Amino acid sequence: MAPLVNEHASILQNRPVGPGLHLLQLHMPVIARQVQPGQFVHMRIPGREGHILRRPFSIYDSDPEAGTCEILYQAVGSLTSYLPSLQEGEVEAIGPVGRTWSALERFREGSATRALLVGGGVGAAPLHLLARRLSEARLPFDVVLGAQTRDALVCLPRYERLCAAAPACSTDDGSFGFAGFCTPLVEERLAKGCTADGNPYDYVAVCGPEPLMRIVCGQAEAAGAYCELSLEKRMACGVGACLSCVVETVHGKKRSCVDGPIFDSREVVWA
Amino acid sequence: MTRKPRETSVRLAVDLGGLPMANPVTTASGTFAAGREYADFVDVSSLGAVTTKGVSLNGWEGNASPRIAETPSGMLNSIGLQNPGVAHLIECDLPWLAAAGAKAIVNVSGHSFREYVEVIEALEAAGTADAYEVNISCPNVDAGGMTLGTDPASVQTVVSLCREATDRPLIVKLTPNVTDICEIARAAASAGADALSLINTLLGMAIDARSRRPVLARAVGGLSGPAVKPVALRMVWQVHQAVDLPLLGMGGICTGTDAVEFMLAGATAVAVGTANFMEPAAAVDVVDGIIDYCEQQGVADVNELIGGLRC
Repeated sequence: MAPLVNEHASILQNRPVGPGLHLLQLHMPVIARQVQPGQFVHMRIPGREGHILRRPFSIYDSDPEAGTCEILYQAVGSLTSYLPSLQEGEVEAIGPVGRTWSALERFREGSATRALLVGGGVGAAPLHLLARRLSEARLPFDVVLGAQTRDALVCLPRYERLCAAAPACSTDDGSFGFAGFCTPLVEERLAKGCTADGNPYDYVAVCGPEPLMRIVCGQAEAAGAYCELSLEKRMACGVGACLSCVVETVHGKKRSCVDGPIFDSREVVWA
Repeated sequence: MTRKPRETSVRLAVDLGGLPMANPVTTASGTFAAGREYADFVDVSSLGAVTTKGVSLNGWEGNASPRIAETPSGMLNSIGLQNPGVAHLIECDLPWLAAAGAKAIVNVSGHSFREYVEVIEALEAAGTADAYEVNISCPNVDAGGMTLGTDPASVQTVVSLCREATDRPLIVKLTPNVTDICEIARAAASAGADALSLINTLLGMAIDARSRRPVLARAVGGLSGPAVKPVALRMVWQVHQAVDLPLLGMGGICTGTDAVEFMLAGATAVAVGTANFMEPAAAVDVVDGIIDYCEQQGVADVNELIGGLRC
């Protein structure tokens, strides 16, 4: 794994892209060059000294040549609600942190032949770089995206450019695609057992709210597909030292920052 | 990028109860693991010492999640001394620290008097610890920890037993969650401690008003970070006047100036804890800051600062 750096990243762009959703573009050439799909940066946000802890943000996209990374974030807590006001200046980012999705390795080994990527809400972001890598390697994959509303499906255009078949979408309010959660779409795909060219899914990657991930992991396991999920717990150090962000697994407690954030679904013991 | 403090002509070496330190800065137990996780940021050999995460005889699972909560200028933690046991420390972590050229202060925990002694005995047999910090102050475990450290008689018993088990420098870590920390300090001193470290975290709580639940799974946890610094300074100052032992001061230290304040209050050395989470090379920044202060103030030897408060 590449050594961690604490990179002083300058803010190039920080703009609203959907309801409560913002796209932050940072110049951080070291991390941009090294980041693998699913990894994150642990970011110190200036100007709010009362908030002493960094926050983890997964990398949505990176451009190693330009030295830039993009982060898609949701303004939820007091710190992420303040973040949109930062239009220039620097943030400090520790990264790239964590393990990557094993999809590419599994394709190389031959244990994966067709992948299904399932993103709920901003959970679509940590999967995007994986979709790009799969697309660049011309490996077969399909995408299911769920969001509350049509406006919140902000990743869809980028995924459309990467996917051979249009991503299957759901919205809670029915404003786009299937009305409801995206789990029936996942079920349908896995139940069919095969796609147009006859390949079953043998790899599923999911990121989103925990209840969604739990259901999709169950669906994938029932269909006999290997499944990985991205779990992010409240963390302090972001480098594996403090043991704040532990996840219950069949092998005991593991750190979501450096043992994760990507976990094998069969390892996770759900609460 | 791995960092170490800058060169200086200021004499930085201190003696913490028989532990020679190249500079007065170590890490606070539990915030730095055993150094390896920070090796991309800090040259651990350039610190006065690395204080390792509390270790018990056999592994402890620690507490349920959520284990932390951010609070104004601070954080609460309720990790519960999760650790893989002393054998793992001896086999994996201490050799790594030794190979890296770092001094190791091993923080020792237990659920019973006997367990503290057994942990020290195991470490003595391995012979790789440079000093011990006896943790009688963790607020996040039900037995041992803080329950020991709030009763002078228990403190005297556990420190005496540990003292019998080793000739290495024995540091006793005190809890601030007492009415009179000087009484506890005197008990530890009379039982043979070589140095005292303070403060451990302040017992605190965070509540989520919307869910009407505590934020932490265990409801309460230990408060640390800049928010506790004034309390820590006050206690270091009081204990410095009460006992004739070197002190390892900690509580919200983020800068060299913070460290100097602790030394003026009576600390011989200082530990950087929560600041490691804010800035991974914080311990190096603190050494650099001490150097800056000494150079600007014409201090040739950092020992001049110890207890140098004018009042």
